[in-house]
Amino acid sequence: MIYLDYSATTFPNSKVLKTFNKACKKYHGNPNSSHYLGVKAKKEISDATLNIANILGIKDYEIIYTSGASEANNLAIKGLCKANKGKHIITTKMEHSSVVAPINRLCSDGYEVSFVNLKSSGLIDVDHLKSIIRDDTVLVSIVGVDSELGIKQNIKAILEVLKEYPNCYFHVDATQMVGKTTLELDGVDLVSFSAHKFFGIKGIGCLLKKKNVKLIPLIDGGASTTKYRSGTPTLELILSLEKALSLAYKDFYVKEKYINKLNNDLKKFLASYSNIKINSTKNSVSQIINFSCDNADKFVQLLNKNKVYLSTKSACSSADSLSKSVSAIYNDEYRAKNSVRISLSYVTSKREIKKFMKIFDECYRRVNKDENIKV
Amino acid sequence: MKILKFNAVWCPGCLVQRPIWNEVLKKQPELDIIEYDYDLNEEEVIKYDVGDKLPVIIMLDDQNNEIKRLVGEKKKEEILDFLKER
Repeated sequence: MIYLDYSATTFPNSKVLKTFNKACKKYHGNPNSSHYLGVKAKKEISDATLNIANILGIKDYEIIYTSGASEANNLAIKGLCKANKGKHIITTKMEHSSVVAPINRLCSDGYEVSFVNLKSSGLIDVDHLKSIIRDDTVLVSIVGVDSELGIKQNIKAILEVLKEYPNCYFHVDATQMVGKTTLELDGVDLVSFSAHKFFGIKGIGCLLKKKNVKLIPLIDGGASTTKYRSGTPTLELILSLEKALSLAYKDFYVKEKYINKLNNDLKKFLASYSNIKINSTKNSVSQIINFSCDNADKFVQLLNKNKVYLSTKSACSSADSLSKSVSAIYNDEYRAKNSVRISLSYVTSKREIKKFMKIFDECYRRVNKDENIKV
Repeated sequence: MKILKFNAVWCPGCLVQRPIWNEVLKKQPELDIIEYDYDLNEEEVIKYDVGDKLPVIIMLDDQNNEIKRLVGEKKKEEILDFLKER
């Protein structure tokens, strides 16, 4: 098997699983209980939370634990808009469905949405952002690294524009950022991400909230680690997230250099095919290589039969056959419909890539020699 | 004449079309539009063979026969043309 879909999900690191299992066995108490076991469990969560903040390099933020990035995005968008004045939201055409959906819901309640233009590099057009921002703009929600092309936005440049608008809040969906890139999120009002994208366990994510930002919770109930999200604190998952995060940023630059090399080798390989168009831009992270080719669906199905697993587009879409990011940047329906995403990680071996290239070549030739091939 | 709109809450193209449709409706408030949710209105999705690309706009005549349809994200001008050519 060759797995090249790490941006869809990763498998939990064995050390993460060990942390999870150990926590299950060691901490029996409900962190909200006032007895010894509860206090002990609560202390573990506090220590883990402090460490998570240190790794992320954030100060004066509250960490709200959620079930994942989808919940974090929903809480950020719906929770912020309902708690603050203003009925206008700005976003991009590259967002994940868990950002699109809450904005869509808010629009049904009378909110208006505008889309900031993207440049050919995939970066948002900051001048256009300045021109569409209004006095009643309550939220700008922009994906830090998009899941299809892997374009890393210039967060600092966006913050620079937004500092002129104190009543407008900035949310970054950092799901594809955390673990893949260095983080410069200080100043962003709300940041969401999920552990399973960086070898953590599915079912835990975070919303980082600047302490002065108001939110209306989505889940009401008893006390938790925060008043913004009720439910018994998931100590085991929180500790596993902390472990996954610390592992993701251990030897980060060594891993980054290694992935850059894999990325360059793969791009050179893809460039040798005259009909393949590389969609990733110079601003894409090295972990994601997106390209378009003829008969992409059949090609990916054939790769799948050969136990090579990658995506035709983001794993989180259905019944919408175009890549939204490719479509947004290249405005080319054929290219958007035939896009393929390879996503790498530091555990991808050179041997796997070599084997992948061989299988790729065989499948590509087979599919394009006979378009009527039944996969 | 009736217009059927098939959208999904998670669909980026459907969200992009929202402000455009708001403008269209300001110009043509008389339009008789029925909105269907792709996930919740399964019966209608099958009946009108909506397919895998959203949003879908279907124009019906007074006898509820389909005249034409518009599939995918469209510019305001394309929507206005679609509505004009009855």
